Amino acid sequence: MKGKHHVIIETNRLKYEFDIKRNITVIQGDSATGKTTLVDLLEEYSSKGKNRGIIVESDVNCEVFSGQEDRWEYTLDGIKDSIVIIDEDYHFVFTKEFAEYLQGSSNYYVIITRKPLKNLPYSVNEIYGIRTSGKYHFPEQVYHEFYPLYDQDTYSTLDSKVMFLIEDKEAGYQFFCDVAGKDACISAEGNAKIYQNMISLSAENSLLVIADGAAFGAYINNIVKYRELKKHIALYFPESFEWMILKSNVLDDHEINEILKHPENYIDSSEYISWERFFTSLLIDKTQNDKIKGYSKTKLTEFYTSGKNASAILNVMPEYIRRLIDK
Amino acid sequence: MLTIIFGDSDNIEYGPSWFKYNYDPLWLKDPFVQEMILGVDKSRYIDGLVIDSPVLGPIPPERLSGGLKTLIMIYEKPELTFDATSCGENCAGYLLEIGKQKDVRVNLNYLMTFEKYSPFEVFIENEKRIISDPEDYLITAMKYI
Repeated sequence: MKGKHHVIIETNRLKYEFDIKRNITVIQGDSATGKTTLVDLLEEYSSKGKNRGIIVESDVNCEVFSGQEDRWEYTLDGIKDSIVIIDEDYHFVFTKEFAEYLQGSSNYYVIITRKPLKNLPYSVNEIYGIRTSGKYHFPEQVYHEFYPLYDQDTYSTLDSKVMFLIEDKEAGYQFFCDVAGKDACISAEGNAKIYQNMISLSAENSLLVIADGAAFGAYINNIVKYRELKKHIALYFPESFEWMILKSNVLDDHEINEILKHPENYIDSSEYISWERFFTSLLIDKTQNDKIKGYSKTKLTEFYTSGKNASAILNVMPEYIRRLIDK
Repeated sequence: MLTIIFGDSDNIEYGPSWFKYNYDPLWLKDPFVQEMILGVDKSRYIDGLVIDSPVLGPIPPERLSGGLKTLIMIYEKPELTFDATSCGENCAGYLLEIGKQKDVRVNLNYLMTFEKYSPFEVFIENEKRIISDPEDYLITAMKYI
């Protein structure tokens, strides 16, 4: 499935309104915000029929997973091109088998859980809480909306020496080593070691953590909580390093600019498990026949690391992050 | 004291289901349970099996939030270990309070923080030690979550 889908679930007393635009969306946040009620309403509507005083508006089918835990694959096989909500008491969502299943699925999944889904590459931008607006005057209707839980643009004052902790050791790491200096860059060599590196490096330095936001959802809560305690840590989570290159316009390609306005309209969930993979594929496709611009994740060419192109890529970052690199 | 075991563990109970099928109406008469109903769900216990929710109106106990149901189970059945992952951050203060009243053991699979309730003390079963420092707690939890 592609595209952004606007969903309204409504009764006389309750209204939920939200957009879903990627294959994996995670709902978490405080207790008593209305997660269970959302599931109950949609389950009643989708499993027992439409004449029950619940209005659901969406351009695609929306339903709640209500199958047996040990037969989840069989149940999901029967659902196509739909938004599927999975409540917190199902454990199969944490398995490698579910992660593999998602790679070819035409559905978008909305998963209610506070436990990190470490096998799934979900975006830091698609983790939502639910909030209500207005004052409660029962039986007047209460409006519920999703809001992003992780605001990346929180400014951090980093005044001592800044170290750069990069999630991987590929092209992005090479780029930041080139522009900020090799001595200032450390690779975490994967998500699993990022906490350990963050804790040890932040003991003596100001720290900027850079990771691919499109697939970093499972790790964001711990990092944000640690940052709340250690104020000298800044975070930057672009979709991916490849997205930064595409966004910088160094390839001067009209089609890329059009895609980046609404990537959800081009990224098919059954083809790409995360937007990160789509952006990598797009960048490789667009440069594969060019000896100078040809992009490889493992070895970055000089085209991207020098002069005005490097500056253009850096300019994709918010100004306060750029200033840290200038330091 | 509140004992926490981080990460996957055996024999962990799911609070919302336990509550739904096993709650005792007398539990609702307990002033501390009523305080948790007000604090977490912003709802007031009326009488019998009636709770007044600002969003849903008069509701039975089955319609309380999953986090609150789990808190009540932890409080009422301290001999069992419940998965406190069902409890949001707004339950953290009550978890500590329950731990002051009784010895309870909970499982946690996300980084719930207690810093704003400092000073606090929790026993981390994975490391077999008491932690009271917020940074020590965070660093320890991140090893397992």
